[in-house]
Amino acid sequence: MLNSLKINIKNIKRMSTPVKSLIAVAVLLLTATNCKKDFLDRKPPGELTFEEFFKTPEQAEEAVNAVYEQFRSFDCVGLGYLGLTDIISDDSDKGSTTNDQPPLADIDNFLLEPSNSYFSAVYKGYFRAIARANVAIQNIPNVEMDQQKRDRLVGECKFLRAHSYLLLVQWFGDLPLITKTLQVEEYYAQTRQPREVIYAQIEADLTDAIAALPEKDAYTQTSDIGRASKGSAKGLLAKLYMLKKDYANAEKYCLEIINSGKYSLLPKYADNFKKVGENGAESVFEFQAVALKTQQAAGPGSSPYNMIQGVRGVPNLGWGFNRPSDDLVASYENGDPRREATVIYELETLPDGVTKVQHNADVVNARYNQKAWVPGHPGLQDNGPGNIRIIRYSDILLLAAEALNENGKPADALIYLNQVRKRARGTNQIILPDVTITDQSQLREKIYRERRSELAMEQQRWFDLLRWGRAAQVMTAVGKTNFTPGKHELMPIPQTEVDLTDGSIFQNPGY
Amino acid sequence: MKQLFTQLTNRQAGLSVLFCVLFAPFLSAQLRVSGKVTDATDGSALIGATIKEKGGANGSISDYDGNYTITVASPEAVLTLTYTGFEDLDVPVNGRTQIDVSMKQSQTLIEQVVVVGYGTQKKSDLTGAVGTIKAKDIERIPTASIEQALQGKIAGVYVSPASGEPGRGAVIRIRGTGTLNNASPLYVVDGMLLEDASFVNPQDVASIEVLKDASATAIYGNRGANGVIIITTKRGQEGRPAVISFSSYYGQQQIAKKLSLDNASEFAQMYNELKGNNYFPDPSALGEGTDWFDVVFRDAPIASAQIGANGVWKKLNYNLSGSYFNQQGIMEKTGFDRYTGRFNGEYPVLKNLKVGTNLAYSNEKRKSVGGGVLASAYRMPPVFAERDSTGDFTDPTFFGQSIANPAADLFYKSDQTTRVNRLVGTVYADVTLFKNFVFRSNYGFDRRDERFRYFEPAFEVSSSQLNKTERTTRDTTKERTWLWENTVTYNKSWDDLRLTVLAGQSAQEYTYKKRNTINDTLQPNGENIREWAMISYLFRANAVFFERYLVTASLRTDGSSKFSKNNRWGYFPSVAVGWNVAQEQFMSHQKIFDRLKLRASWGITGNDKTQDYPSLGIISDELYAAFGDTVQSGATLVNYANAGVRWETTRQTDLGVEFAVFSGRLSAEVDWYNRFTYDILGDLPIPDYVGSGSNPVVNAAQVRNTGWDITLQWRETKNKITYNVGAIFSPVKNEVVKLNQGKSEIFDGITAQNDFATRTTAGLPIGTFYGYQVAGVFQNAEELATLPKFGGEKPGDLRFADLNGDGILSDKDRTNLGSPIPTLTYGFTAGMELFGFDAAIDFFGVKGNKVANIKAVARFDTPNWETLWYDGHWTGEGTSNTVPRVTNGGHNYRMSDFLVEDGSFFRLRSVVLGYSLPKRWAAGVAMSKARIYVSGTNLWTKQSYSGFTPEFPNERIFEAGIDKLNYPMSKTILFGLDVIF
Repeated sequence: MLNSLKINIKNIKRMSTPVKSLIAVAVLLLTATNCKKDFLDRKPPGELTFEEFFKTPEQAEEAVNAVYEQFRSFDCVGLGYLGLTDIISDDSDKGSTTNDQPPLADIDNFLLEPSNSYFSAVYKGYFRAIARANVAIQNIPNVEMDQQKRDRLVGECKFLRAHSYLLLVQWFGDLPLITKTLQVEEYYAQTRQPREVIYAQIEADLTDAIAALPEKDAYTQTSDIGRASKGSAKGLLAKLYMLKKDYANAEKYCLEIINSGKYSLLPKYADNFKKVGENGAESVFEFQAVALKTQQAAGPGSSPYNMIQGVRGVPNLGWGFNRPSDDLVASYENGDPRREATVIYELETLPDGVTKVQHNADVVNARYNQKAWVPGHPGLQDNGPGNIRIIRYSDILLLAAEALNENGKPADALIYLNQVRKRARGTNQIILPDVTITDQSQLREKIYRERRSELAMEQQRWFDLLRWGRAAQVMTAVGKTNFTPGKHELMPIPQTEVDLTDGSIFQNPGY
Repeated sequence: MKQLFTQLTNRQAGLSVLFCVLFAPFLSAQLRVSGKVTDATDGSALIGATIKEKGGANGSISDYDGNYTITVASPEAVLTLTYTGFEDLDVPVNGRTQIDVSMKQSQTLIEQVVVVGYGTQKKSDLTGAVGTIKAKDIERIPTASIEQALQGKIAGVYVSPASGEPGRGAVIRIRGTGTLNNASPLYVVDGMLLEDASFVNPQDVASIEVLKDASATAIYGNRGANGVIIITTKRGQEGRPAVISFSSYYGQQQIAKKLSLDNASEFAQMYNELKGNNYFPDPSALGEGTDWFDVVFRDAPIASAQIGANGVWKKLNYNLSGSYFNQQGIMEKTGFDRYTGRFNGEYPVLKNLKVGTNLAYSNEKRKSVGGGVLASAYRMPPVFAERDSTGDFTDPTFFGQSIANPAADLFYKSDQTTRVNRLVGTVYADVTLFKNFVFRSNYGFDRRDERFRYFEPAFEVSSSQLNKTERTTRDTTKERTWLWENTVTYNKSWDDLRLTVLAGQSAQEYTYKKRNTINDTLQPNGENIREWAMISYLFRANAVFFERYLVTASLRTDGSSKFSKNNRWGYFPSVAVGWNVAQEQFMSHQKIFDRLKLRASWGITGNDKTQDYPSLGIISDELYAAFGDTVQSGATLVNYANAGVRWETTRQTDLGVEFAVFSGRLSAEVDWYNRFTYDILGDLPIPDYVGSGSNPVVNAAQVRNTGWDITLQWRETKNKITYNVGAIFSPVKNEVVKLNQGKSEIFDGITAQNDFATRTTAGLPIGTFYGYQVAGVFQNAEELATLPKFGGEKPGDLRFADLNGDGILSDKDRTNLGSPIPTLTYGFTAGMELFGFDAAIDFFGVKGNKVANIKAVARFDTPNWETLWYDGHWTGEGTSNTVPRVTNGGHNYRMSDFLVEDGSFFRLRSVVLGYSLPKRWAAGVAMSKARIYVSGTNLWTKQSYSGFTPEFPNERIFEAGIDKLNYPMSKTILFGLDVIF
């Protein structure tokens, strides 16, 4: 059309007689009408539309990669995530300087307003992950490609969807269940489904994922390292069953992982949080991050997770949020080396063996999360390269111990509990003696304490407390007196969500 | 209007004499007649009156003293005298050689010609509502842009400056807010359809026509719904080979109104109270501290110069001009300059073929500062100095502040330049095909190149204000538009009928390419290409029966690439009737009305201003996943689309009356309109559970704007004084009729406290403020225990009203806190001319709207407070029941009427005083006109709002009236000079 118009312009300019012009106009109008279809069909040059996507195996894989990408985002693993897992719990305080991030201090102190931006951050972040997973799950089955790979890709997305829903349901309770890309007319029409319905979806997704995903060691290519595996899905499913207090099933899946022979504890506890431990024998699932870029802007593989928790001051590694609490520091058994592997103190030498943390007058009683520390890397702080650990093998061992104890098998429970203690102990035989108690409730306490020491500052504590029904008791004990039982076990639904849905996404009780 | 037009032509007529003397061809004579032309009212000489021999080719023009000489073919010849604003006169020569003539000022209004879409019409033949501003009104008060020239001048046209930043445009609303989306009108500059007219030098403008009702706008179809602004630039005047003009001004600007922040001792006191300690042991000793607004604002110069020549030379009608405009910003390190050049030319190649072009070139350079300097200045505690004791920029982070030091940003982040090169023009040919048939082919183009360059050196002021490695950011944007329109016009007059029929076709294409690099490396998603295209067919018929019954009908059909195949084509018809009552026989004996016209119109227009691909789901790429130590490419659908979206449609009815009384001295135009807009396009906020990265465009709502456009004008010349007084009133009622998608309300305008500031719901104006009503301040624990509350409040906190009476406070207690849309905009103008002096004054005001001080609730650190949070704040029981205790975010910063203020204002928009040298003196230095003037802009504003001036440039309708802290307005005083040779 464009060309024909231009040609016509030339023609008309050459015309000298009115009649010729008139003919030209007629021709033009006719031409315009005939080719208007092409002329008006536009799409952004150099980009693909949805209709053109999901045609090749490469595109199917890209769509899955895009789901993983969301889990490196600020909304998913940033301040809101850390605030609503560690900071809200007894393990850590807000950190950083006093005036920095009042909304995070509000979370620490249970002044929970529905308008606090961090509720909407995690809510939005994980629902966006769910949406990306839904797009892939719905459309990949129509791509012509290797059947096994196709099933694997869908399985990865179901795992990622289950992970997102499991977090959301623990924070917010009943939720809208979104398992496909919503159409315009459905945007405002969703309602909160009972948490059992969400559980059932998670269970179904993980069951599918277990069937479709390969074992961890079957991912042989470098570019596949860190993808969700059969073990990842079983681990997550075990966590769901623990939450549901379905200890029989929890035991089953934990033992399947343990007996698969694919996992083992690293000899040194602290190695789990170093580069050397990433995707190691103990890794059941972790979100991958990498610092590739030396330019100023954060590179395409990084996450903000390390920067947010990095040492604030000298060396300047970040913002210094998520400060291990006094209560956590005091909670370890005598001589437990895991404390030193978890907490960075002022004047301490960092794990690189060289850099010493200087006193920072702005930060009151500074402490930092050593598990989020990363050594020097290309780019600036925001180019965080550390993988974000989601499920470690020791977590599975402790869940196994907990489930076995609840199922009346204390002897079996002790095996796994003591495996974790043994590793923590290392070569120092004086500390962390094996537990021998078989009384169910006493052993339960031992396991609970072990979980805290083993998994501190790994975003597990708050969910453990909720699962154990101990949030109120523990919060009161650490002086978080604003905690209101019956209310604060659930986070408020973001106010914007309540407003936008005319209240069909109604607020949680007490808010 | 008559006088205005008279004066315009008067001046230019005067100039022509010189050229007549120089260039008038020498003619052989049979009878030489000479004489003097005078004004019958006062006997003064009329300069530049045209004297022609009736039916002959000879002509002459009266000189400075009113004298003329003409050679006529025979003693029986008849002289025809014409002079704009005066009645034509035929004088038989009857063999005389000396004929003095006095001409009478025309008492009936001159037939003003109005530019309408794809043609012109006599004002008296118009059936639509069209507002006009002529060159004289624009030239007299210097403005930097077309939009400024329009403010307060035409009823129903609301102009709000986009920002006080030099070189920024304005937000224009014609007849209310009819959409949730982009409500800007369509601009038509010399036949080129555009989305803005920023490249036009106001001094080049011959007239601006604002098309308001559907009868006028429907010919622009799916781009007419928000009104059309037609800008016509100057042409040469017949009979004058070259009129050369020069004008220049220079002035100073200053911030129009500052907003009041706490000084250092007030801040220190607030901080101590906030923390409950004595962090600042002696607040009063800190005194004023640093006024950060003084650091970032300054007085700044503004200057302009322009030179032009126009005329008709060897049949070439031309207008050539060049201008330079330079405005330093009232914010440090900001500024704007612009060069413009224009060539308009038209040449009759053949008897039936005319070709012409209108070309405008502009070159703009804008200097700006990054890092949100204004916001930093607003937030930075006054207890800090610009620099610390060692001479480095103060680092406020030791105080737990991540606020950037604005002085350092001004220093390190000010190497920012945006350059715009733009060429806009049309090339056309008019062919008279047969008798009464004129074919026009018009090719228009707009080439706009924008280059943004930002160099940021490596520096470190604090851990949050630093740049580790120096970098140069470059954005280049190329926009290209072409438009090709072909029309055929048929014109024919019979005894009782004049008929004009127009039919045509139009095609347009737009492409946009943007590229972003840092240190010459293309950035992720650093390339963006978009385009749209449109094809249209148009038809219009105007008929005038018996010189008094007017009928217009039009139809346009548009196909737009923005929508999917099924929703692509739309049809936009209009019909209108008019009745020139004063032309009726039965009116011929009355003396009251010099002019009386009634008109009515109805029509449908559209608006397709939305994203370029709202119906297409575009795959987002560069969503890299990390696996091991690698990254793998990722791509998926992130931002959802709406395949069913179609353009929005406006149905408008207009009833109008125009009349002139008191011998034409008082004229008035009153229109009532009802604009009903449905399928309104908007990217409404959607629940987060949908998971879309952005809000898809939907056809969201129905809105009605009803209102009046009232224009009153008194003009009179008496005892050598010419004066005029005018007023416009535009009351408008904006009401949401219905929301689609089954929604009952739309929340928007999210605040830094994560509240929505506005709610849009049926029965109320768009974007009505919504929140809690302050009932008082909690005075003590007892009140806290007994009165309704949320739960977290402490004594001294705002106490909100429990509107639903359930005994507790919740989101159910929010209510409407007022509309951001003025219910009345109005303006007054007055002007006077006497003994060479001219004076003019313009006022402009709005009423009935609220504004929300949302900038005050962004409290991520402990930034400074506005004094309205300090003055009389609660410090203990009984100290205040209106201003809460000191807090930093949280409860007291919820969206409530504490944040909502009256947005009305009344402004002395401009005042100008000029003096023109007497024509004789001017002629002595070879000038036909020389005028010097002094003018002031925005010198005085009456407002109750506590912030800067209460005009906010938010294109997003839901956020109209929300103060997010914008570059403030300036007031200006200028001195200028206009010369015509």
